[in-house]
Amino acid sequence: MAELDPHATCPTDTAVELSGVWKVYRVHQRSARLIDLARDLLRPRIRRIEALRGIDLTVRRGEVVAYAGPNGAGKSTTIKLLCGLLAPDGGRVRALGLDPVHDRVRYVGRISVVFGQRTELWWDHAVEASFEWKRVVWDIPRQRYEHMFKLVRELLDLDEVLRTTARELSLGQRMRADLAMALLTEPEILLLDEPTLGLDVLARRRILEFIRELNRERGVTVIVTSHDMAELEQLAGRIVLLHRGEIAFDGAFSELRRHLTGERVLSLETAVNAAPTLAGARLVRSDAGRHEYAYDARTVRLAELLEQAAAQTEVLDVETHRPPIDDVVADLYEHWLNSPSPTGRGPG
Amino acid sequence: MVASVRRVFELWGLYARLDMLYVLRGPQIALSFYVSDLILGMAAVTAMFLLAQRFDGIPPWSRDQMLFLLGYALLVRGTIDVFFNYNISFISRRIGRGQLDHVLVQPQPLWMVLLTEGFAPVTGAGMLLPGLLLIGWSVEQLQLSVTFAWLALLALSLACSIVVVLAFSYAWGSLAFWAPRSAEELNSSTWQLLTQLDVFPLDPLPTLALTGLLTFVPAGLVAWYPARALLGIDASPLGWLGLPAAALVLGSLCLFIFMRGLAHYGRTGSTRYLSYGHRR
Repeated sequence: MAELDPHATCPTDTAVELSGVWKVYRVHQRSARLIDLARDLLRPRIRRIEALRGIDLTVRRGEVVAYAGPNGAGKSTTIKLLCGLLAPDGGRVRALGLDPVHDRVRYVGRISVVFGQRTELWWDHAVEASFEWKRVVWDIPRQRYEHMFKLVRELLDLDEVLRTTARELSLGQRMRADLAMALLTEPEILLLDEPTLGLDVLARRRILEFIRELNRERGVTVIVTSHDMAELEQLAGRIVLLHRGEIAFDGAFSELRRHLTGERVLSLETAVNAAPTLAGARLVRSDAGRHEYAYDARTVRLAELLEQAAAQTEVLDVETHRPPIDDVVADLYEHWLNSPSPTGRGPG
Repeated sequence: MVASVRRVFELWGLYARLDMLYVLRGPQIALSFYVSDLILGMAAVTAMFLLAQRFDGIPPWSRDQMLFLLGYALLVRGTIDVFFNYNISFISRRIGRGQLDHVLVQPQPLWMVLLTEGFAPVTGAGMLLPGLLLIGWSVEQLQLSVTFAWLALLALSLACSIVVVLAFSYAWGSLAFWAPRSAEELNSSTWQLLTQLDVFPLDPLPTLALTGLLTFVPAGLVAWYPARALLGIDASPLGWLGLPAAALVLGSLCLFIFMRGLAHYGRTGSTRYLSYGHRR
């Protein structure tokens, strides 16, 4: 498969539009103490969880959008709103010009959704029987079906699984089959909720490549949630980061890095085992003449650090790189975790 | 309307093929299905059958009238097994396990999915055959004249009995919208309740108990009430029209509760999801 530029999208018009969307859950709070039983029954304590707090989001046709955030940030809630499985408590959800709840039948025929922990396959039937089920239920014209079937069969290498029952598939095979089935309808929007959860590296790579290919070749709009930032960066040009039900960041990955941190990692290999002391850089680890430092590129110049090192010892090799995106976002989540919760507002 | 009917038949055809494929995986599977269903069906009516045989009926019902009642009850269960399999009749399981999402992502009206997705004419037919045999045998023994009008009444009664069973099942099963974990298996209990009581002739019961079994727990409407009309025991207009009227009332009540539950589901979604067996 050709190397693809994940930033290359071909937006033509709006695929998804969320305007001021609120989603609030009410969760009963129960005590473990017997003495509280009567009180819980008579005056139940209910905790209000604002899963989405006035989200505004526009996704254009042909975009691949990564939708990320820590657990409980509102990712799956958004996917469910976009499938028409949930109705918003406030604001408006429109996709392909339709209301996913009120126009459900028309709408779901034009989208596909894959939930990482669920399967649409018929458990006790061969995969190809599930595909046939999809063809009839989605009323896909035979010729179009044959075309898409051929495409997904080749790209996702399905020959080995077509005649196997869903319950006998490995997780990776099942995900490929589920993804293939979701694509048989040629959806205009593909919603993926943690599609690579639990997959090994190889299965994960194949699925990611396929999604990119699909977007490039057919212009399918993809909204994908995952906890794996590196994976999302490979896939999407744009990342939307959620934090406690609000959009904390919406832009390109490169912008996210710039926005979040100027931190760089400097690796030095020296002739002696002792690590040189560098003003403006923090020694992260040192092992047998290899030393790793962290520094902020916005305030400290690399040349200064190298000069300091060279003045103290003989430098054999130098390497600098940005920290992995996972680390960047993990730091961000940690920062969010320690910040105070936003105060309640919005629909009751 | 015509398009919808055509679509329903198209989907029944699809699910019939899938059901056939499932059974054709091996003769042992097919055989085990039928034998277990046959045993279940027989077990369900054997006690009543032996009582009727031993005492030559349960007054005021003769032995052959009892056989007709048992056959009718089996026919109702068999038809439900054929048309509403895959936990469509046990809707509390689908709701409670969070599996209704699989239904809602299909581009079809909900009623159409519920009417078609459970169609299992091969694996679900285990109780249908003994039911038909019992009815046929008892009709012959009773020397009933089988006219077109009688057959039409049988078909109408059967449809109404099914509506009563499903309405009862869905009305209670809808509780799973609010309490998914606690109510997940509720329909096992409602089904058991109806199938344990529907083979009894209820004539000797006091009015209060009889009223209860025709309203709150409508086991009497499943087989006893229609069997009386079909056997000519109750030839009054109420005997003929009571069941369709009750089916209409119970069906409307069930629809109201189910739609309320569905609206709640739209607001809260499902708080749990169990992947196993959402399609068997």
